[in-house]
Amino acid sequence: MREIEELPLAVVDAAPVIPGGPPRRPVRDAVVTVATYVVSIAVALALCALLVAATGGSWEKVFSALIDGSLRSPGAWGLTLTTAAPLLIVAVGTIVATKAGLVNIGQEGQLLIGASCCAYVAVRIPGPGWFALLAALTAGLAGGALWAGLAAGMRFWRQVPEVISTLLLVFVAFQLVAYGLTKTWLLLDRTPRINKNNTGEPLPTDRTFGHLHLFGNDVSLSVVLALVLAVLIALWLSRSVGGFRLRMLGLNPRAAQRSGVSAVKVGGTALVASGAFAGLAGGVLLTSESAGDRVTTAFSGNYGWQGLLVALLARDRPLVAIPMALVFAALRTGSGFLAATGVERRIADVVQAMLVLALLIPPAIAAIRDRRRAVAAARAGAMATAPATAGAAA
Amino acid sequence: MLACDAVDLTLRRGEVHGVLGENGAGKSTLMKILIGLVLPDDGRVDVRGRSVHITDPLVAADLGIAMVHQHYSLVDALSVWENVVLGEPARLDPSAARARVREIGEHYGLDVDPDARVGSLTAGQRQRVEIVKCLRRDPTILVFDEPTSVLTPAESDQLFSVLRRVVAEEGRTVALVSHKLDEVLQATDVISIMRQGRVVEHLPAADADARTLARAMVGREVSLRAEAAAFGLAEAVQGAAPDLVSTVAAEPVPALRIRGASVRGRDGAPKLVALDVVVGAGEIVGVAGVEGNGQRELADVLSSLTKLDEGTVEVAGVAVPTGRPGAMAAAGVGVIPEDRHDSGCVLGMSVAENLAMADPHGVARRGMLDRRALRQRAARLMSEFEISAPGPDTPMRLLSGGNQQRVVLARELSASPTVLVAAQPTHGLDVGAIEYMGARLRAAAESGVGVLLISNELEEILALAHRIVVVHRGRVVGEMTRAEADLERIGLLMGGAAA
Repeated sequence: MREIEELPLAVVDAAPVIPGGPPRRPVRDAVVTVATYVVSIAVALALCALLVAATGGSWEKVFSALIDGSLRSPGAWGLTLTTAAPLLIVAVGTIVATKAGLVNIGQEGQLLIGASCCAYVAVRIPGPGWFALLAALTAGLAGGALWAGLAAGMRFWRQVPEVISTLLLVFVAFQLVAYGLTKTWLLLDRTPRINKNNTGEPLPTDRTFGHLHLFGNDVSLSVVLALVLAVLIALWLSRSVGGFRLRMLGLNPRAAQRSGVSAVKVGGTALVASGAFAGLAGGVLLTSESAGDRVTTAFSGNYGWQGLLVALLARDRPLVAIPMALVFAALRTGSGFLAATGVERRIADVVQAMLVLALLIPPAIAAIRDRRRAVAAARAGAMATAPATAGAAA
Repeated sequence: MLACDAVDLTLRRGEVHGVLGENGAGKSTLMKILIGLVLPDDGRVDVRGRSVHITDPLVAADLGIAMVHQHYSLVDALSVWENVVLGEPARLDPSAARARVREIGEHYGLDVDPDARVGSLTAGQRQRVEIVKCLRRDPTILVFDEPTSVLTPAESDQLFSVLRRVVAEEGRTVALVSHKLDEVLQATDVISIMRQGRVVEHLPAADADARTLARAMVGREVSLRAEAAAFGLAEAVQGAAPDLVSTVAAEPVPALRIRGASVRGRDGAPKLVALDVVVGAGEIVGVAGVEGNGQRELADVLSSLTKLDEGTVEVAGVAVPTGRPGAMAAAGVGVIPEDRHDSGCVLGMSVAENLAMADPHGVARRGMLDRRALRQRAARLMSEFEISAPGPDTPMRLLSGGNQQRVVLARELSASPTVLVAAQPTHGLDVGAIEYMGARLRAAAESGVGVLLISNELEEILALAHRIVVVHRGRVVGEMTRAEADLERIGLLMGGAAA
């Protein structure tokens, strides 16, 4: 028997639920963004100072030395600019792959292979200097492209994730170059010289980039090349049909495939291109002599990893990569002056790491904020999809 | 914007309470408040006269409130009884659980094998599992969110008789959320109608008729004849379509001919089996069927996203390679995909870029995009298709679902396709937008486009299609012209009965 209830079983008396979250406030957001950058960089530098002080150094001297090495001392900023060129080229290549939705993290290896190919051609090819330089750089580009091409091939024929293959190919590249440096028919110095174990042949001086002499600084012409590439790629990505199709692939591969963008062709090309950029950066590094005039096993010197970081910090905008590359280059050249302060040279790496984190935190905060807003909007959206008719009437 | 604005709803013991409203009226939000998935900003919920705070679904479960969701929350890899006991804190007792599933099944006529793997069940059977799962917890209030969207007409009738028993014999309460007039009229005792987040009307089902309900739903006088499909009035649609006469006789070269199409899924299960479909120019062919019977794969094939294992696709007599990027689009197949976020648009790009996706070279000179041409084309399409957005450069992400759908429609139609595939084109849209989509599809067909309409909403197919193809488990199990169409027969075919 069912009892008759006077009281209703359940009464809902709800409540405005506001979808879309709080309205967007662009000005406030911009102020908050700038403030978070300032605060996080200040905190990073303060922590670095603390670390230096804790290890018995003087943080004033350390920062002063960093600035001396990168900007203040004679010829310093020229060297910084020259150092920035390969970093920028690696970063621009990385951005091309990332925009296509592919994660290339093997620039260090691609760069080393590129530098080796460049060296091989540069010391062997006859002809005028400019021609040899061009041929050598092309060889570097091709070497990097080939190295990334291996990853692209595995990615698109065998579904091997390119994150893993590009990374592991770095170690293969190191071994390969180390082997090449034991054979004169490959990379080992062919000249009769002592103490030439495991080093490449020095480049003839006419096979290197020329310099601009500006206010007592030597700036390699490779800087011009890097800037031109960054601008061209920025334009290509945002303005060209090819760049449009590449971005489409990165943002929605299924929509892209329907519209005729082949993941194999466009994605594969993007991955190979990013390797080509890293390889070219290797060639530039060698021929602008900022890292020595011959290949060694340690030649790549983290330029590949740092270029990857530059792209990360620039958040895939080629033009933003330019100042980021300069910051990293300044830390590299600045660290050369640390020895005089009696502080461990590797403190520069710590500063660098802290700065990377500091520069990554504000975007992360912004992303969390956007995500919260999106979740709030989605929650509300699931309940109330905005009526299309209301819009049409407006 | 308010999803629910000072809503009052009273559920009484022993009634089936229909909550009616078009998409976006706030029905689901209200039910989610009841089940603890959404917290109201203000207001109160009383259960059995006591004010309660339903902060999460566990609290709701303790209060005896259970919900059968529109998209089931079942684990495919587990068996039926495992799913039923999933999430319960008690010790696992497989034989008792099996017995309980059988017992509940027998009691309510919800026949389901406790040892079957959920992944192998049809949508209707899964719903039974979901209901068994709810009933096992002996709830006082059962909430059903659009339960018939995955059912054949016969399964729907069966569900309603279960609901009837649950309330009449056991004194439980059922809240049935729906946007279909037919089923609310048929299955409920009391009806609350929601519009733009408010309950605008509350009346006993016995006093209600389709016309008053429809008017209350959209807030204006409506022609049930013209808009029957949007209201889910299958009977009305069925009677109301003599003006749809296919102009297409047996053409020598149809707009689209799919022959012997077969596709296997990743797990090797057949998704399409020797499927044949022909769409003439100027004809709307409706593909009817319960969700998950190959419709998605069919649309994917025609979007160049899936390669056929066997069979051919011909567009205007020319064979088109399947699975090759862009081949279908280049051959003149436009697609309004089932999930526009999946392959229909790029959320991270602007409206203008989305409109140019199909043909970027049309707004480019020497390989470089012409910004002015891009914006001009976008502005033209936005006004032609009544897309409401602040401007062509607005990110696609910020548009409402209805407007995103219009962007997709505008792009696909502006490419002057030979064939237009519309997969669930009105899913989640409100009545106005549904009408608009219907008018566009009709206009496309009149201009000579062959339209393939894939829809789970039988009413929509009956309202628009000249010819109807019924699919079941990836096969065509029946085909008829609109004039021959008969609800009962289509329903049986959808359920897999031989024609």
